[in-house]
Amino acid sequence: MTTLVSLWDFSLLLCLIALAAVAGLLLARVIGEWRGKHRADWRRKLLPAMMGGETIDVGGSRLARSVAATLTLELTELVRGSDREALITAASSAGAGEELRRRLRSRAPQDRLIAAEALAMFPDHVDAVTQVALTDRSPDVRLGAALALAQEGRAPSAGELVRALGIGTREHSLLVVSLMRDLVKTDPHSVEALLYDLDLPDEAKLAATDALAESGAIDHAPLVSWMAEAAGEDSDLQPRIFRALGRIGHPAGHEAILGGLDSPSWQVRTAAAEAAGRSALSRAVPKLAGMLDDEEWWVRFRAGEALARLGAAGRLALHRAAIDPAPAARAAAKATLAERGMA
Amino acid sequence: MLPGIASAESWMTSAAEGIALVVIVTGLLQVAFYILQLVFAAFALTNRPPVPRGATLWRRYSDQAPAISLLAPAFNEEVTVVESVRSLLALQYPDFEVLLINDGSKDGTLARVIDEFGLSRVERFVDDRVAHARIRGFYASPALPRLLVIDKENGGKADALNAGINACRTSLFCAIDADSILETDALLRVVRPFIDDPDLTIAAGGTIRIANGCTIDAGRVTDVRLPTNFFALVQIMEYLRAFLMARLALGKMQALTVISGAFGLFKRQQVVEVGGYSHGTVGEDMELVLKLHRHMRDMNQPYRIEFIAEPVCWTECPEDAKVLGRQRSRWQRGALECFVKHKAMCFNPRYGRIGFVGFGQILLVDVVGPLIEVLGYILVPLLYALGLLALPWLLAFLSVTFTFGVFVSVATLILEEIQLRRFPRARELAILALVAVVENFGYRQLSNIWRLQGWWQFLRKQQSWGTMTRKGFGGASPT
Repeated sequence: MTTLVSLWDFSLLLCLIALAAVAGLLLARVIGEWRGKHRADWRRKLLPAMMGGETIDVGGSRLARSVAATLTLELTELVRGSDREALITAASSAGAGEELRRRLRSRAPQDRLIAAEALAMFPDHVDAVTQVALTDRSPDVRLGAALALAQEGRAPSAGELVRALGIGTREHSLLVVSLMRDLVKTDPHSVEALLYDLDLPDEAKLAATDALAESGAIDHAPLVSWMAEAAGEDSDLQPRIFRALGRIGHPAGHEAILGGLDSPSWQVRTAAAEAAGRSALSRAVPKLAGMLDDEEWWVRFRAGEALARLGAAGRLALHRAAIDPAPAARAAAKATLAERGMA
Repeated sequence: MLPGIASAESWMTSAAEGIALVVIVTGLLQVAFYILQLVFAAFALTNRPPVPRGATLWRRYSDQAPAISLLAPAFNEEVTVVESVRSLLALQYPDFEVLLINDGSKDGTLARVIDEFGLSRVERFVDDRVAHARIRGFYASPALPRLLVIDKENGGKADALNAGINACRTSLFCAIDADSILETDALLRVVRPFIDDPDLTIAAGGTIRIANGCTIDAGRVTDVRLPTNFFALVQIMEYLRAFLMARLALGKMQALTVISGAFGLFKRQQVVEVGGYSHGTVGEDMELVLKLHRHMRDMNQPYRIEFIAEPVCWTECPEDAKVLGRQRSRWQRGALECFVKHKAMCFNPRYGRIGFVGFGQILLVDVVGPLIEVLGYILVPLLYALGLLALPWLLAFLSVTFTFGVFVSVATLILEEIQLRRFPRARELAILALVAVVENFGYRQLSNIWRLQGWWQFLRKQQSWGTMTRKGFGGASPT
């Protein structure tokens, strides 16, 4: 009986604590709204000054520094070039940099990430982002900081970043491709060097490949040769390699693409078919025509799409397949032609 | 007193206490599970992966965001369909296609969309891996390359989604209700697990919130306000508990058993492998997630099914007791159908935490929960009145049905206020706190009765959906 009564007492206690907490939160809201007026006052003062690139003296006001930091976060996304530089200078004079530096050590990862992203734009505080945010306990903050630094052209070398972030081991985000793209803009050779580093995982190399493939900053021949070699290896990354080969369209990748069309993996066959179409590989027409009868719809679809891209030879193959005795090939060819108004 | 009478009385008291014990223990197990969920949800919210702010979110994720097909089944949505499509086409996402699936509507849904967007008939090469009713035609316009309308024979929502899956050409598809409103950046947010962990993530769901009472302009929620209707207010609390507490926690535990049919992002390949959505069930959204778990576990493949609190989809909830009752009994029926269909997974070590935690939750909350609770409402006060139960038994019963209930609701509201703060005014927080208390007295009991109706329909193998009367968000009227 004591247990039953204790249960009742305990539930009442929990209930009262929860209601008291809500009352506290309501009070905090009211106080917050009151403080919001002061924030709004500072906002009104700081906004035109920061937009005008003026030097601002906020005295020792922590609230002003906080408002300046928040305004920096909002405004830097809206301006570019010399306007942004002026804005950053004004924000620095208002103490935004110091405030963001403080937020780099906030308990909430969201705050740390936002602070790191903004601070990467302050030339005087890049060291803090490199030393604090790139070694943050949250992988999202580390990656976000690396992306922000790379975008500003202030990142450490590609090799250092790959190791610091654990790309291919702990970090599998597709955002590393964006990171590599930004790194390629400022230091393409450090990204290219990743391909020849035997200690790095393939995933890191593939991210580098994706980025280099879209850049005109390096000679594509050795890159394609690396990709062609990697395309022959049995790996989960093969479809991505074929797609990258298709994007580059370099003739040195054609043999690898033709080989991919025969892969036992339907994902690889699909990617290779897509690459054949994109890289105008007319030698692939007979194989692609045969793939219209593939058991996997994606392969049939991409093969049809590739044939439609491959000019007269491809269209002829589609028309022939449209009267093929194999029902799957016939349906695929007819539908591909009809969809493109070529029937 | 005669020994025979004394023995009968003692036996009756023991029986009464036995009944009360079953009711209280079941209630306590539920409460304990809810408190555990609160802890996990609080942990998940506090440690949720940081996401950049609006403009940075776009800049950062747009490059790598995979293409998405939005599958929006529509059945007799003439009033709202045009506005819904406009709202979907205005979403902020780099590469997406809206596939509106007209599921054999009997009204002018198809004609209205064709007229409004200047569509004409086109051909489309589609897959045939998942089963659905016959497609009558495709409609598109070169001026709107992101819109494709699929006109098919009626087959129900699951069937319509299957047609969309066959027709979509992206590795990801997002299943939504045509009459729901997605926040403009909802896709960019919900796709995050597919970017962060592209090899493991196979599905992700987001939060559904109630739009009743909010100001809606051009298919967007522009001002979050509370409705004045009591049933709508109570549902706001229910949705907060369901999404912010239960699903977030189960997602964190990797034991999520349902992603709402109103907003879920899936890898097409895995959904095709499990045969798409199942026909003949009213809980097709839950069943799909269970099938995915089962398939991946059977194949011994690592995977993740995530729930993210911040991508928000707004939906209109019923404000009428009759319609709400029908919806709730249908949901109950759906949960029971899924449980029975996949009962082999329940407490089966082969299915790990989904078998124990996920199915444990369905068993406790959806299968036995309403039965035992209603039994308690009838028997415990009655047995107390007859003098067969002492006051502590009644108090313990009241604690598991009322006071703990108030605690769980208020604690969820606290979580919302500390972590997300989606209600902009203090007054709204106060009203919801009041609702969190009041709903336990009357509404909770009514809700249990609706769930018993669902049980009854399940036993009678009733399959109908019932009708859902919607007002429409924008007040558009059919021509």
